[in-house]
Amino acid sequence: MARIWLQSLIKAFYISKKDARVYYFKAPNFTYGFLMPVSLFIAFSIAGQINTSLIVSGLTSIVILFGTTSIEAVAVVLEKQTGTFERLLAAPVSFFTLLLGKALAGFFFGLVLAAVILAPLTVISGTVVANPVLVFIAIAFSSLTFSALGVLVSAYAKWTPEAQMLSNFLRFPMAFLSGTFLPLELMPSQLGVISRLLPLTYSVEALRISINDSAPTFTYLLDILVLALFSFILLVVAAKVLQRRLE
Amino acid sequence: MEVVAKAQYLTKRYHGVLAVDRIDLEVYRSEFFGLLGPNSAGKTTTIRMLTGQTKPTSGVAIVADYDIIHQPIKAKEHVGVVPEASNVYDEMSAWDNLIFAAELYGVPRKERNKRAKDLLERFGLYERRGDRVGNFSKGMKRRLTIAAALIHRPCIVFLDEPTTGLDVQSARIIRNLLKELNRSGVTIFLTTHYIEEADQLCQRIAIINQGRIVALDSPEKLKALVEERHVVEVSFSPAKDLDGQLKGLKHVSDVSWVGDRFRLYVEDASEVIPLLIDFGRENKLRIVSINTMKPSLEDAFVKITGLSPEVMATEKEHAKKGESLG
Ligand SMILES: Nc1ncnc2c1ncn2[C@@H]1O[C@H](COP(=O)(O)OP(=O)(O)O)[C@@H](O)[C@H]1O
Ligand SMILES: [Mg+2]
Repeated sequence: MARIWLQSLIKAFYISKKDARVYYFKAPNFTYGFLMPVSLFIAFSIAGQINTSLIVSGLTSIVILFGTTSIEAVAVVLEKQTGTFERLLAAPVSFFTLLLGKALAGFFFGLVLAAVILAPLTVISGTVVANPVLVFIAIAFSSLTFSALGVLVSAYAKWTPEAQMLSNFLRFPMAFLSGTFLPLELMPSQLGVISRLLPLTYSVEALRISINDSAPTFTYLLDILVLALFSFILLVVAAKVLQRRLE
Repeated sequence: MEVVAKAQYLTKRYHGVLAVDRIDLEVYRSEFFGLLGPNSAGKTTTIRMLTGQTKPTSGVAIVADYDIIHQPIKAKEHVGVVPEASNVYDEMSAWDNLIFAAELYGVPRKERNKRAKDLLERFGLYERRGDRVGNFSKGMKRRLTIAAALIHRPCIVFLDEPTTGLDVQSARIIRNLLKELNRSGVTIFLTTHYIEEADQLCQRIAIINQGRIVALDSPEKLKALVEERHVVEVSFSPAKDLDGQLKGLKHVSDVSWVGDRFRLYVEDASEVIPLLIDFGRENKLRIVSINTMKPSLEDAFVKITGLSPEVMATEKEHAKKGESLG
């Protein structure tokens, strides 16, 4: 049993390696994944009064969100359009393994993006990161969750424009409701309830705590757990959706 | 004989459309099996069900002793698939495509390079192994797709119209490769709408029309179904539209037009030939050639499916103009 799991994981990894090769460096990924959230964020944070650790954590989170969903939302759709998806369907891998492979590609992409944004950001803002390991863990789980979200969109969508529209439909409201531009405490309480349903909220919170605190707090651990659950559930649902779509 | 793939009562319905209708078939080890039928007959759907890419509405599909519905992953480990459209990655090299296929099928690491090299050499692609596949011709891509389907040494390979849309030369290369593969022991399941291709390659042929298998036998046995009919081919100069007049001749049951010749289906050739000579004289036509022929698989196909020979002719023209086999 454990061996079968390991073999599936290895195959998922090969799929992600292939995806990295084929899709990472396409221009739209960079524009949508990077320039857009950065400019969006700058526009809003100038307007609002927020402190540095909020800027650092909020900006990093939405860069991961936009970057990973940009590549993942089309990861399955593009392969359906070119016909290469048939290769994956004919191969001895489960839908879950296949989609995990797709999500892993986004996961690694997210890690790189986070490093690219976080390094200059801490230097410019003069932030001293309290515990780099906790920061890394928060980034990793955020990246996996948002990739899984993108994969779900991709499993559902029939073609690229639909996938892009759907992912925008999810990530823009999420960016506004998850405490990135505005601290949760300042939000009306009804919105606060909604924000607790959104994975970005947990990502921002975990990142902010790990930047400020050197030891993991209970909230931090809970955030990570919630992100892990989100990843798993999103992938399971995506596998089901894909199966439905192909019948 | 050992059965490596089997369909029982296999059916697929798409929103009311019966794409495949209760088909039964068995493919034996080391066999070259053909599924022959016109466009929309249900060939692709059959392959997609047998290879676990789409779920049958009802019925059973067994491949390599595994039920494809209940143990899809186990079954897929033993199956190679070459779909209608080449499905290699344009952005990667030929080499990387093969290695990725090997990885997906769990080929042991130390075997991968050796197998990729062997296959590329065998398929005449080794010199181009480092090139982006996006720059390959259609024929080369098709060859690479077939190579990728073989990297895990499947016990059966499914090929969906592998020569459709290729130029004459590339199609011939593919057919020769497939013959060679089969000689080396690989079981092949091929779909095609080229009657001559099926005749030339396959040991047994299932004829499919509107989702149903209407005949399943060796090409020779299928031809024997129309043995009692003789065929006489004649061409006249000047060439004219003579179908109607020829059909009116005694002993002639049907007439079709093949290239510049008329094909006459008759009961007895020796009675019809003198009539044709008279016919030419009366109409001031010179007989350019006259041949009697054994019935072809096309004749059998026409008889079995009830499709007119012209329909199959236009079908062929449509896919590839004037392709000749070789
Ligand atoms: N995904 C699909 N959705 C709806 N109808 C389909 C689908 N795939 C095939 N069909 C229909 O099923 C029939 C058989 O198609 P197909 O198996 O592709 O035939 P062939 O490969 O012999 O040309 C056709 O009428 C086709 O329109
Ligand atoms: Mg087809």
